[in-house]
Amino acid sequence: MAKIKVASAWLDCCSGCHMSFLDLDEALIDLAGAIELTATPITDIKEFSPVDLGIIEGAVSNEHDEKVAKDLRANCKILMVWGDCACFGGIVSMRNLFSTEEVLRRYYIETESTKDGKVPSSEDIPPLTKVRPINEVVKVDCYVPGCPPSPKAIHYALTELLEGRIPIVPSEIMRFD
Amino acid sequence: MNEINLTINGRQVKGKKGDTVLEVCQANGIDVPTLCHLDGLSDVGACRMCVVEIEKERRPVPSCTYPARDGLVVKTDTEQLEKYRRQILELLFTERNHFCMFCEQSGDCELQKLAYRYQMDNVRYPYTFPSLSVDSLSDYLVIDHNRCVLCGRCVRACNEVAASRTLDFSHRGWKTLIAADMEQSLGESSCLLCGACVQACPTGAIFSKLSLYKGKTDECQQITTVCPGCGVGCELNVLVKDNNLVRIEAPRLTEPRGPLCRMGRFELLEPTPPRIGSPLVRNKEGELEECSLSRAVQVIAEKLAVTKDGFAGMISTRIPTETIALFNKFVGEVLGSDSIDTIDGAGYRVISEGIKRFQNNGKGLGIECPIEEILEADCIVVVGADPEKTNPIIGTFIRRALNRRKAKLIVIDSSRDVFPLWTELWLKPEAGNEEDILNFLAKIIIDNCLARQDRTGGEFFRSLSRYEIGEVSRITSIERKRLELAAELYGRAERGVIIYGEELLRSQAAGSITTLLNLANITGNKVGDKLRVISLKPCVNSRGAWELGLAKGIKQDKPKGLYLLLADERDGKELLDWVGGVDFLVVQASYYSSVTSMADVVLPSPIWAERQGKCVSMDGRALELKQVLQPKDGLLQDQEIIIEISRRLGHKLILS
Repeated sequence: MAKIKVASAWLDCCSGCHMSFLDLDEALIDLAGAIELTATPITDIKEFSPVDLGIIEGAVSNEHDEKVAKDLRANCKILMVWGDCACFGGIVSMRNLFSTEEVLRRYYIETESTKDGKVPSSEDIPPLTKVRPINEVVKVDCYVPGCPPSPKAIHYALTELLEGRIPIVPSEIMRFD
Repeated sequence: MNEINLTINGRQVKGKKGDTVLEVCQANGIDVPTLCHLDGLSDVGACRMCVVEIEKERRPVPSCTYPARDGLVVKTDTEQLEKYRRQILELLFTERNHFCMFCEQSGDCELQKLAYRYQMDNVRYPYTFPSLSVDSLSDYLVIDHNRCVLCGRCVRACNEVAASRTLDFSHRGWKTLIAADMEQSLGESSCLLCGACVQACPTGAIFSKLSLYKGKTDECQQITTVCPGCGVGCELNVLVKDNNLVRIEAPRLTEPRGPLCRMGRFELLEPTPPRIGSPLVRNKEGELEECSLSRAVQVIAEKLAVTKDGFAGMISTRIPTETIALFNKFVGEVLGSDSIDTIDGAGYRVISEGIKRFQNNGKGLGIECPIEEILEADCIVVVGADPEKTNPIIGTFIRRALNRRKAKLIVIDSSRDVFPLWTELWLKPEAGNEEDILNFLAKIIIDNCLARQDRTGGEFFRSLSRYEIGEVSRITSIERKRLELAAELYGRAERGVIIYGEELLRSQAAGSITTLLNLANITGNKVGDKLRVISLKPCVNSRGAWELGLAKGIKQDKPKGLYLLLADERDGKELLDWVGGVDFLVVQASYYSSVTSMADVVLPSPIWAERQGKCVSMDGRALELKQVLQPKDGLLQDQEIIIEISRRLGHKLILS
């Protein structure tokens, strides 16, 4: 059987979900026989080509995130999201409590360790938008919540997908923290 | 017939008339998810998690508020209902900040458990991100409105369990918030810090500062013991992780004896003074210095040899009965003295004298009624006592009676009205003048034919003849009208309960106590052979120790030597003044304190959580203190130290 092609992206996140994936340890060896990683943060390939499964970690936080999410969605048959940020908005969405100006000022100027800080500006830097979970931007087919999701939950979701089913993480292994 | 028959999920089940549909489901093992429901609190149908379908109802109804009746056909688990519940959860999650990863209650949260149960892996509504305040000014509690689902369990616990009426809702609709009093910070409100709200809260909206990040419920061992805080003897559920106290809860929060107070729930978890870890004796420079137990015993033995007859013993009544009985033998046989007292013994001698004058050779403290009588009272008289301070659960009981039964409260206190928000009538005697007021009260009750005279009252009636009603204001400095009102309230009450305590006992008022008992007697306030009169007792085993005869009193004005088993009791000013003049002071205590700094020999002692044994609550119930923690650094128990000292001094004592 041909290997399933997988691409992944991390948006506004801490990369913990991808780390949790790597924590599958020896189960990775079996998975490696069934899937082929294409463009992912792990392979450090950034241009998506058509794949069977797209995976997104993190929330959509700026115009670049939105573009990546839409790009991956356009290139994959099934889109799975990992982690509370991608599923719900999570900890990165806490900045929605403040205006963009307040956030930037706090981060670049007011932090206790900063002296003569300045908010950087360049047309290469994508402007911040309101932080949104992935399903507010593109259609999502399956969700693995958790901060990060346990390797068990990720393994469950991948195995279900390989067997042709859309996974819903069972209550016993679902965690939001 | 009280029984009703329903069909739930196609099954024939039985319920009782008056049950809600939810109660019938629960009684029959049918699982219906709930969030705003808490067993024992009234139901309000706030969260809608428990919706069910009922035949002939056009739309789903909350089962917690729907009265069950004969013939109802109910469905609790249809696909449509499950969809609604998931939808309700999503709406709850989007309304405020319910991100679990930085919430203290994650893992102990009912909202989170429901989300797992309904496999809520995404949310279909936009989050609202309201920016709400966090109130952390209270000594023990934090209210984070961002985590609140407005289930109202805290509001109901505050009103129904604590009877404090501090918490309520403010504003309306989706701007609704939990508020303390008139939107004060909890720390500046009428909150009594009983913590009923924190136990009732299903999310991380109300949490305790003292238990923060110490451990989750399922990582803890749970041990049920008795609160050492005062004489009431409330049951505590203590959560322990790695031999550390994590949290204290009420095992049966909503039952009559269920609620806890700040002492039981919080004060026991507060940081303590440094622990005494080994025996200490004075060195040549006069400083206390660590030493072996043998060395400490040697110092005591040397002193004993030269001070025959001069020793006395005094013990805390936080200590279990077995150790108290052993201490009694120790003082008698080893210290060779009959001069013995409990730290709270002076109060007992006044109570005991008062009861004796009322009923010579009677039942002693056995004449007092159980504290549950307060809950059923329609008139409560508090004389020289401050229950909120000394025995807060008695305060809770009083407020519950005032709340639920519309009881009337009379306070007789020379310094202040101890229930300013609740008192119907405050009589303010000159300090020490309580007896006259009480006698005039009795006189008015009799003159207005509110007394039910019987055989035992005659002598008392005669003793009142010297009180001339026209003299009331002159003698008591209280208007006649006010005393007449008090007489009316108490005299006409069906179940009048008198509570007295510390302040009255301080005025050495055996006569007042006799009058109180007579008052209850002539108005027929009896339950079986007991009178509706309650004295407040300060420690968990006060009554146990007193009834063992330990509160005899120290014979000498200043004993030459004193063996003080202070345990984990905090030293008071009175005790300090008293031990000041003692020549040779041995203190067995858990913490360094002003008293230990005055001692010649200091011996270590376990704290409440490290002890076990029997005790007697203030209303005479036998209780069992359980060991919750292993003693610090393998510390010996109080009784082991006493037995060891005795052995070295040539006496064989055994714990009975």
